[in-house]
Amino acid sequence: MDITFKNVNYIYQQNSPFAHKAIDDLSFHIPSGSFVAIIGHTGSGKSTLIQHLNGLVVPSEGEVRVGDFLLTKDKKPKNMKELRSRIGVVFQYPEHQLFEETVEKDIAFGPTNFHVDAEEIKRRIHEIVPLVGLSSDFLKRSPFDLSGGQMRRVAIAGVLAVRPDVLVLDEPTAGLDPRGQKEIMHMFYSMHKQQNLTTILVTHSMEDALKYADHVIILNKGTKYMEGRPEEVFIQKEALHRVQLDVPEVIQFLDQFEKKFNQPIPFMRQSIVDIAKSIRNVVKGDASK
Amino acid sequence: MSNSFIIGQYVPGSSIVHRLDPRTKMTIIFFFVIIVFLANSVGSYGVLIVFALLSMFITRIPIHYIVKGLTPVWFLIIFTFILHLFVTREGTVLFEIYTFKVYSGGVIQGFAIAMRFFLLILVTSLLTLTTTPIEITDAIEDMLEPLKKIKFPVHELALMMSISLRFIPTLMQETEKISKAQASRGVDFKTGPIKERAKAIVPLLVPLFVSAFKRAEDLAMAMEARGYHGGEGRTKLRALKIEKRDIFVYILFAIVIALLLYTRN
Repeated sequence: MDITFKNVNYIYQQNSPFAHKAIDDLSFHIPSGSFVAIIGHTGSGKSTLIQHLNGLVVPSEGEVRVGDFLLTKDKKPKNMKELRSRIGVVFQYPEHQLFEETVEKDIAFGPTNFHVDAEEIKRRIHEIVPLVGLSSDFLKRSPFDLSGGQMRRVAIAGVLAVRPDVLVLDEPTAGLDPRGQKEIMHMFYSMHKQQNLTTILVTHSMEDALKYADHVIILNKGTKYMEGRPEEVFIQKEALHRVQLDVPEVIQFLDQFEKKFNQPIPFMRQSIVDIAKSIRNVVKGDASK
Repeated sequence: MSNSFIIGQYVPGSSIVHRLDPRTKMTIIFFFVIIVFLANSVGSYGVLIVFALLSMFITRIPIHYIVKGLTPVWFLIIFTFILHLFVTREGTVLFEIYTFKVYSGGVIQGFAIAMRFFLLILVTSLLTLTTTPIEITDAIEDMLEPLKKIKFPVHELALMMSISLRFIPTLMQETEKISKAQASRGVDFKTGPIKERAKAIVPLLVPLFVSAFKRAEDLAMAMEARGYHGGEGRTKLRALKIEKRDIFVYILFAIVIALLLYTRN
């Protein structure tokens, strides 16, 4: 589904002494099937932005278009439930939304609300549980007996079981151990490729954005600060520093390398192996290869 | 949080009302609540209204915000007025609606009661609008001090109050967060038959309780780690102190009471 923001403003607690502008004249377009990373410092409006995508909030001004659904201040789509079934949102710390007696019931909660029939739900659960790295032994257990990382996986399975077209991920790996982070991000990425999803990843991790996204939007104080392909955005060190963001380690490394050896290795999202090869060539004094 | 209900909501500011000692504010409101019931003439109501409105203006909180915040209460005030209009049967008959006779005494009584109601709510909400919950608990702890003599757990009570007040916004945020997450999973809190909506509360309440218990455990642990051992021998960072302005306000209020008694008939 294509997603378009057109001059969107969002003001919290409008007409009160606490009024606060969270989104300020934001416009962008996300074509269907792309993997977009949204990056910004704390309080830059990332979380507010994603709540516009499935109508949890509607813009105070401007319009949001998600596929055929149009959201403006005065016009909410009538079939809000359908919109929500097609946009899967994994919130920050999604394990806080678990409530059922068993893991199975909790995963089935979303699809049941969206009127998927019981047989189909069973089938989906058995398909998704191994994908998120759990085994079917977990299904009859209480979600509250699991470890934090396992609860996170159950919550993610609950969102995926709805089979959304757009996947919205709000820092899905925050607080997980490094290996768990890698596994989860890898799972989202392969799902994105296989099912041709449109994925929106809100993250603090430049590394993840660089690795998975094909488009990056940088937010600052509710407005768009930068936008483009990751390899174009992430080399602009000064501009990123100005909004308290760092460049990914690979780029920092290449930068330092250039300083020491007076020999640039342009970053084109090459793999670590390729970078090692280029370095060898420079060190051996044979940059042409 | 889009609730427009302002009772219990603190609005930061630096007006003289904000800076008054919370004990002063509470004492004055305590006596105000009593003297509201002494008013029985146009003049005495006038004195109270002037006092209340003056206090409201001095806080420098936007008037439209206060007026809007009292919306749910307006309904109660108007309801009381209408009730008195039809129930009181004193004075002369002013007019008739169908078979109901409206007496002049009813109109007066209705006005008086509605006005009392309005004054009470306005003044008490000024307290919470200009005083942080922590200040209020400090004041309560201080004012209940004498009860310690009869082994009443004043400190513990104040601590419980300040902890629960402290966690109201947190729990509200949490509620909002969870309800958004569940709404994204297809729960409909706002439309549909009552029975369905009641059912939709479960996915909201269970996570809320789970996190509240977890928070309580964490808090207890953190307090113990920092050596908390009850109120015995504990000193305060923000000690309450009566300033000149407090004395000034007490004198002013004494004048209000005197005026009220004078204009009473």
